Amino acid sequence: MRLLRYAFEEAAASLWRGRRSSLLSTATIAIALFVTGAFLIVTSNLERMAEEWSGAAEMSVYLEDGLGGPERSALERDLRTDASVTSVEFISKEMALARFRQTFPDLAQTLGGMQENPLPASLDVRLRSSSGESAPIDALVTRMRTMPGVADVRYDQDWLDRLLRGVRVLRLVGFSLGGALLLAAALTIANVVRLALTARRDELDIMHLVGAPPAYVRGPFVMEGALHGGMGALAALLVLAAVFFSARPHVLTPLASALNLSSVSFLSPLLVVLIVGGGLGVGCLAGWVASRRA
Amino acid sequence: MIETYHLSKVYSRGVYALRDVTLSIDKGEFLFLTGASGAGKSTLLRLLLCAEQPTEGTLKVGGRVLSDLTPAEVQSHRRSVGFVFQDFRLVPRFTVFQNVAFVMRVLGVDLATQQRKTFQVWKGVGLQHRMNAYPEDLSGGEQQRVAVARALVNDPQIVLADEPTGNLDPDLSLEIMNLFREANSRGTTVLVATHDLWMIRRVGRRVVGLEHGRVVEVS
Repeated sequence: MRLLRYAFEEAAASLWRGRRSSLLSTATIAIALFVTGAFLIVTSNLERMAEEWSGAAEMSVYLEDGLGGPERSALERDLRTDASVTSVEFISKEMALARFRQTFPDLAQTLGGMQENPLPASLDVRLRSSSGESAPIDALVTRMRTMPGVADVRYDQDWLDRLLRGVRVLRLVGFSLGGALLLAAALTIANVVRLALTARRDELDIMHLVGAPPAYVRGPFVMEGALHGGMGALAALLVLAAVFFSARPHVLTPLASALNLSSVSFLSPLLVVLIVGGGLGVGCLAGWVASRRA
Repeated sequence: MIETYHLSKVYSRGVYALRDVTLSIDKGEFLFLTGASGAGKSTLLRLLLCAEQPTEGTLKVGGRVLSDLTPAEVQSHRRSVGFVFQDFRLVPRFTVFQNVAFVMRVLGVDLATQQRKTFQVWKGVGLQHRMNAYPEDLSGGEQQRVAVARALVNDPQIVLADEPTGNLDPDLSLEIMNLFREANSRGTTVLVATHDLWMIRRVGRRVVGLEHGRVVEVS
């Protein structure tokens, strides 16, 4: 406790003495964490959107005309036993026609001239969220296509998978950019701490000569790095929150509504803790490396 | 207390700073190391502080061979040694009182003990009226008294002083020597490196003379 207090007091005094360069390194880490945080907000909301859409995913199994009741029941049973399926609903030809007329009233007249209902009966299959694993659903689709009595299977999940892949790429870009900026921030902090170390060389020499423990020699520099990182993280979060919450009512919520997303969220508490922890960690590491020759 | 056996220190290009030095300094002794510049006085003090390692021979303090000490043991050894330099080496951003208390602070001593012991040693050097001054506000003699207070604050077993009066006039030099004599009278072993023969005669203690790294005189 005495060591922590000593390290904190010395680090705070050093920050104050070199406040101009401290401001620079704190701003650098704040920018790095702001960029990382912004990417995390965007990607976490896109992921949630993909999950919401994926949760509503359906597969339509179109049946051949004239398929008998027992064969249809066998298909329904087969589908219900599949782990990817949550529910199966039979849509007869008549129901399909009624639904078409309701959805596309303008086109309904063109069907009126036909003597026979051209729309096939189908099984509307509601699927579990496929955001984690798409292979079982792909396998089910392939299997259904080969089943007797099945005319066609429609499952338009590919675009959703592409969206999820895009989100993953975007997140990777965010982490890479954030990582590069964090590295730059760590180097800036290390240089600022090294400057502080040079300024205190006379004290350090005395400390070595009186037999001060290494924790007392290096502790203030590690703490100084941690303070740079922690303050940078807090500044990044404050600016992120200010931008997010001021843009939410006028820009983000209408955008979410247009994308069928229930709401737009800020960073989760876990991500906030991770950003603060990341800032502290990068700062500590930079201070520790910079004080190797203390 | 301090024993050296055939101790040598060779710097780069084969220059001997100390050559085959065998010495014994008793516990509680006050000893002058003398000799011209480059005779090896400062090197012996640096070896005693473990700031350097001997090239040959053995250096023992309190029965322990210094070159065998682990880093943690070196720190422990240094806590039992006080040091005074010719150029004082006070930290300019601290008040002179803080300069003395700093030693206790970085050793993790609690605040109450820091203050009690610093006040105690502070009275001994007679600078009660300058506690809150900064080093630059003090004369050379006062700064050296602060440096002596810093060397004594941790109750060291040994005090090493390297030309402690090199920047001071004779009266101030004697004042500093009196501080060392007081510490010595309390049982501290004192080793002063100086080339000031006038002062050595005034203080009148055992003298070891060095020349080109060799012991040439013991009196």
